[in-house]
Amino acid sequence: MKLELGKIHVRDVKLGPETKIEDHVLYVNQEELVAEVLTDDRLVNCRIELAKPGESVRITPVKDVIEPRLKVDGPGTVFPGIMGKVQEVGTGTTYCMDGVCVVTVGKIVGFQEGVIDMSGPAAEYCPFSKTLNVCVVIEPRDDLETHVYETAGRMAGLKAATYLAKALKDQTPDETITYETKPLLEQVAQYPDLPKVGYIHMLQSQGLLHDTYYYGVDAKDFVPTIMYPTEIFDGAIVSGNCVAPCDKVTTYHHLHNPVIEDLFKEHGKSLNFVGVVLTNENVFLMDKERHSDMTAKLCEFMGLDGVIITEEGYGNPDTDLMMNCKKVTQKGIKVVIITDEFPGRDGKSYSLADLADEADTMISCGNGNVVIHFPAMDKVIGTLESIEMQIGGWVGCKNDDGSFDAEIQIIIASTIANGFNKLCARGY
Amino acid sequence: MVKEIDRAGIPVAHICTVVPISLTIGANRIVPAIGIPYPLGDPTQGEKKSKEIREQLVKRALKTLTIPVEEQTVFEEDF
Repeated sequence: MKLELGKIHVRDVKLGPETKIEDHVLYVNQEELVAEVLTDDRLVNCRIELAKPGESVRITPVKDVIEPRLKVDGPGTVFPGIMGKVQEVGTGTTYCMDGVCVVTVGKIVGFQEGVIDMSGPAAEYCPFSKTLNVCVVIEPRDDLETHVYETAGRMAGLKAATYLAKALKDQTPDETITYETKPLLEQVAQYPDLPKVGYIHMLQSQGLLHDTYYYGVDAKDFVPTIMYPTEIFDGAIVSGNCVAPCDKVTTYHHLHNPVIEDLFKEHGKSLNFVGVVLTNENVFLMDKERHSDMTAKLCEFMGLDGVIITEEGYGNPDTDLMMNCKKVTQKGIKVVIITDEFPGRDGKSYSLADLADEADTMISCGNGNVVIHFPAMDKVIGTLESIEMQIGGWVGCKNDDGSFDAEIQIIIASTIANGFNKLCARGY
Repeated sequence: MVKEIDRAGIPVAHICTVVPISLTIGANRIVPAIGIPYPLGDPTQGEKKSKEIREQLVKRALKTLTIPVEEQTVFEEDF
């Protein structure tokens, strides 16, 4: 499976009468965009706000972040099974609106929706402080149940991204990257002397507003499977969860999965990137046992020499992480895990909820319990009314001027457990 | 909390849904529960059956307090 990603660099975003990209500037017709979002009768209002790097702007509560992408050649559509019919993706050509993000914002759904600051100390921790953000601020109908509101919010972001992506249609990419993974036996034969490496991608699937979708399928309802890595670049995986903001894998992060991107960089040089094993993080012990068994079986079946594992969220998913690590290691395959840590504000607790002797090689993406100060901003997109109950905050953490103290786990993607951040722990 | 109660010399049973975490943390008497969304019952089986499950798990947990254990023990079945 071969995919070309054509990146169109966007350097500014403005509101305008027509949605288009001209001289690296995205113009957004906000009336059309709002109308597109409000085709959903679960939403009663929608507002478009722009946020740019360096501005004194705070965005919260953030539900999802999405890069607009458009399929220009090859089968299927971006976000298959959700924004279009179900058809295999990952082949052909896809254009990416590089530098622009749709950020879905609105009244809190759960309590695990985070903050993006466009400047100040918290901006250092967040990748979306450096992007041009088209914020879709939604207002749900009063009578919606929480999970229905979550669905409406998820769809609002995807619709907005799909609408904006149309502006990519006749563009010429500034940069093109080609990714290719062959069918298993051919891929193994291509680089016979290099170690065969795979990636175990654990999708958040705890339910109760902690869900992820694969080709439109709720991830808690599938058993582990094998995926071509390029499928993810076309939106085969969509986030639908309110997991802790710091390690929420937004839809943007799926489109830009750093483990897959980095494994491709080394593909054919130091390793042979054979494929992705997709698994989940369910809430019943029997599921955890069964799916870690199956994950290990698939790795063995693929003949892997080494794997990298990432998880989403923390707490009980640490058990899935450890079970996968243990069982894959017991198949004779080398394992490296990537995760973040929560040792408490004093740093004295276990940093993971579960452990295994086999987990002897780990890359840390930082400590989510560190407390920092969030100075007041000139403008808030969304609302600060829930800050005290958003994870990382506490009763009394907010001041009258809009400033507050909170653990960095309140910041979107600050310690994201796939490495799409700057924090790292080093052993000396 | 389980470890501290144990340390104070009071027998303690940990009713938990993810047994491996309880083993990692160091609980000595572990009673596996149903699942994270509903540890002590099962709404998919109706209110009556759910209450029976709850009663069974709590009684089993209480009974574990009456017997000595030499090592970490998972009480999968009534005894």
